[in-house]
Amino acid sequence: MPFRAFRHIPLLLTGLAALTLCTALSLALGTRSVPLPTVVEALFGDAHGRDALVVTGLRLPRTVIGLVVGAALGVAGAVAQAITRNPLASPTTLGINAGASFAVVVAIFALKLNDPVEYVWFAFAGAAAAALFAQALARRAGDIDPVRLALGGTVLQLVLLSWTSAVMLLNQRTLDEARFWLAGSLAGRPLDTLWPVLPTLLLGIVVALAVSPALNALALGDDSAQSLGVPVARIRLAGGIAVVLLAGSAVAVAGPVAFIGLAAPHLVRPLLGADHRLLLPGCLIAGPLLLLSADVLGRMVLRPSELEVGIVTAFLGAPLLALLARKVAR
Amino acid sequence: MTSGVRTRVLVFAFLGLLTLFALLTVSLTTGEMRIPAGTALRALVGLGDGGDVLVVQQFRAPRSVAAIAGGAGLGVAGCVLQRLFRNPLASPDVMGVTGGASLGAVALLAAGASQTLIPLGALAGGLLSALLLGVFAWGSGLSVTRLVLTGLAVQAGLAAAVNLMIVRFPAELAGSALQWTTGSVYGRTWTEVWGAGGALLVALAAAFVLHRRLAVLDLGDDSAGALGLNTATARLQLLVLAVVLASLAASLAGPVTFVALAVPHIVRFLTGPPTAVSLALAGLTGAVLLLASDLVVQHLLPIEGLPVGAVTATLGAPWLLVLMFRQSSPVQRSHA
Repeated sequence: MPFRAFRHIPLLLTGLAALTLCTALSLALGTRSVPLPTVVEALFGDAHGRDALVVTGLRLPRTVIGLVVGAALGVAGAVAQAITRNPLASPTTLGINAGASFAVVVAIFALKLNDPVEYVWFAFAGAAAAALFAQALARRAGDIDPVRLALGGTVLQLVLLSWTSAVMLLNQRTLDEARFWLAGSLAGRPLDTLWPVLPTLLLGIVVALAVSPALNALALGDDSAQSLGVPVARIRLAGGIAVVLLAGSAVAVAGPVAFIGLAAPHLVRPLLGADHRLLLPGCLIAGPLLLLSADVLGRMVLRPSELEVGIVTAFLGAPLLALLARKVAR
Repeated sequence: MTSGVRTRVLVFAFLGLLTLFALLTVSLTTGEMRIPAGTALRALVGLGDGGDVLVVQQFRAPRSVAAIAGGAGLGVAGCVLQRLFRNPLASPDVMGVTGGASLGAVALLAAGASQTLIPLGALAGGLLSALLLGVFAWGSGLSVTRLVLTGLAVQAGLAAAVNLMIVRFPAELAGSALQWTTGSVYGRTWTEVWGAGGALLVALAAAFVLHRRLAVLDLGDDSAGALGLNTATARLQLLVLAVVLASLAASLAGPVTFVALAVPHIVRFLTGPPTAVSLALAGLTGAVLLLASDLVVQHLLPIEGLPVGAVTATLGAPWLLVLMFRQSSPVQRSHA
């Protein structure tokens, strides 16, 4: 497959432009809308007053977190779909979101935590444990069976979700703290939430990009890939690690946000093709684009109140999944 | 049916009924107030001490009957769906039915409706979500894969709506909504049990009348057509029936996970390929499973007030995984 990225440069530029627009809207729109010139001035420290405070104090962290989380989810989804060879795979299917949710709820219940900054490591640990468990379930003679991975992940997810509800019902305080985190939101997260997971995020991106050429071979089927000299099991393991690092970090910061990981690759594929060397960078743009638009939409529909981004993406993602189903299954 | 299979089926049915009866006895006799088995059975028909009669007739019996009926409905619904779709993961959960039931019930909770009306909301929600699924998935005929995938989509959307309400509710209401949506038979009354249970009986009878069509559909569309069966109509009838069963069960016991999913696997594991009585065995297994799980929630756990769904998930998942992983390739091999 000849690699002709330059053919796609106009498309990538258009994507970046759309992302920039989205970022600007995310900084400007909300309960208190700020004109764009003021936003720019505030960012450069030239403006003061309430508008500037809203922009730098609230919207900037929120937007930065949205960009990072969206990128992580988009790439994680693309890698998950490649290693499971399943167009419907996503961090959710692998039990990652449910694992993080359960760990956070248990931490809130047992350790009496009440600040999303404190949840980060529990969420990450829960996500990683669930993903590892799903992979262990799928392991057969040292190899990972894609069908088992998806089935095991789905079953694990159902169990963890009901345990999560059970723990939430144990006391009122847990229920009250956890239900907001569980909806998935970018609001009220200071940048401090992001710093701890930045190394894991970057490592995840690097691993994902490094395995992207081999992911193309995986798409041909295990046997063909093997005969091309691709170490299938090792690539799948590396891909799985990248998914855990990326999706785990994302859920640690923003809570369980559904469908971004599923949707981003499907949005990019018709535009850039199925070559993972293009698909992954494409998802790096499409993921945040989707997440930020959903977040801005969530701020606009119920003004002056707002809708958690996780709920918006679920509402938007559901019809998308239905459309995909129409296309996938004839 | 070969004689070996017949023996196995008979043993299964006998042991199943025995277990069900034993569990029912335990369920009627144990609790805050211990009542000897004989006294409890007499109290069930209204004889003996007034306090015993009240506890057994008004508190324990409706709860047990709700668990039995709900479990049976879920088991049969799961069996019909998995065989219809030839997919081991097809279940009311995957198809949006339980999501719809949750949303219906939670919406009525939000509107401040009385406790007795909640099951009606669940029933309406389950049926409406199935209708929604039909509208989305209906193309040229009924593609099975598309239906399952669309079902997952509908379920996700409905779950988001329920989640939205749980986040927006005041804490107390959120608690009861969460309790309900995890599945629970706590506090069922005869009014609910008679209504939903009666309707469930009718639906179960209809399932046994229609079940022969499943065997014909198993032959494949061409052969089934050659035998004079309109495959599209037969699928639709069975599908609607499964949805009604699952919605009624959810209105009794809440959207309990894994019962509908695991029961067909258990039946197949114990008696082999489907026979004429598989549906009845599925009903029995579902009833035993849910009643047993409810007893675990009530008496064996140190923590009070847990929803039964947490236990069915915990018990059901390892079973399901073991059963699936015994087969070399779960998706291709399992025709429930």
